[in-house]
Amino acid sequence: MVPGETRNPLTELRRGVLEYCVLAVVRRRESYAFDIVRELTDAGELLTSEGTIYPLLSRLRRDRLVTTTWRESGSGPPRRYYRITAEGKRALEGFAAEWRRFRRAVDAMLAAGPRGGSDGG
Amino acid sequence: MEADMLVNDYLGRLEAAAWPLNADRRRELVAEVREHIESALAESGARDEVTTRNVLERLGAPEEIVAAEVGSPGSEGQSPVVTVVQIPGRRGWGASEVAAIAFLTVGAVFLPIIGPLIGLAFVWSADAWSTRQKWVATAIVAVLLVLPILFLLGLTTGSSSGQSLP
Repeated sequence: MVPGETRNPLTELRRGVLEYCVLAVVRRRESYAFDIVRELTDAGELLTSEGTIYPLLSRLRRDRLVTTTWRESGSGPPRRYYRITAEGKRALEGFAAEWRRFRRAVDAMLAAGPRGGSDGG
Repeated sequence: MEADMLVNDYLGRLEAAAWPLNADRRRELVAEVREHIESALAESGARDEVTTRNVLERLGAPEEIVAAEVGSPGSEGQSPVVTVVQIPGRRGWGASEVAAIAFLTVGAVFLPIIGPLIGLAFVWSADAWSTRQKWVATAIVAVLLVLPILFLLGLTTGSSSGQSLP
């Protein structure tokens, strides 16, 4: 929605990690879409356009990383609840390990600061 | 009422933008987003225009949602592939076309029943006509062959039943 958002480097990064954040939410407990959106937005700027969660959930279903169950809701129509599968857990654990390495590497580079270039010969 | 119009307008835009998706998934996506809007409005406890605008703003543009669906890796089956339509050859007239016409006209006189059937075989092997045109030719021949047979059958059964009467 924000003009120029496509040039924000975090947009691509966010898109890449979002599915694992969703997997983490449904690993903790079975949730329906609106719940998942709340968790992601409460945690920080993980989801900029809430509607894009539905294509993502559809893909996770298709890839069998989550399973769904329809349940009656107290008010309104039945809701589709999402739960992580064994395959989803494996994918999430694999990503978590890679993410830790990646984060350490990026942090190390950023912490290095503007040292190297200034002590010219 | 203004709020309802905003929601309907938004869902209409979503449905229109979702044309690359297959019909089932399109219906499902629109239903999911509709339910999301309902939940968000119910949660906020108000259904006025400002609340509705905020809910829709947080959802993002309909086109953006569809782009996430189409562009997501692993959605090969959903990408907007344009179906390539085979256009019949229409390479002009050759031996098959001439033979087809000959058997369907003159052949029908000299070789009753068999002539038109051979003609049809040539029609189907010809390049000059579309499949639809070939089916029309087949239907015409079928009707012209079947009608006399039915007529004759009607005569024989009619006369035989007449004979069986005391």
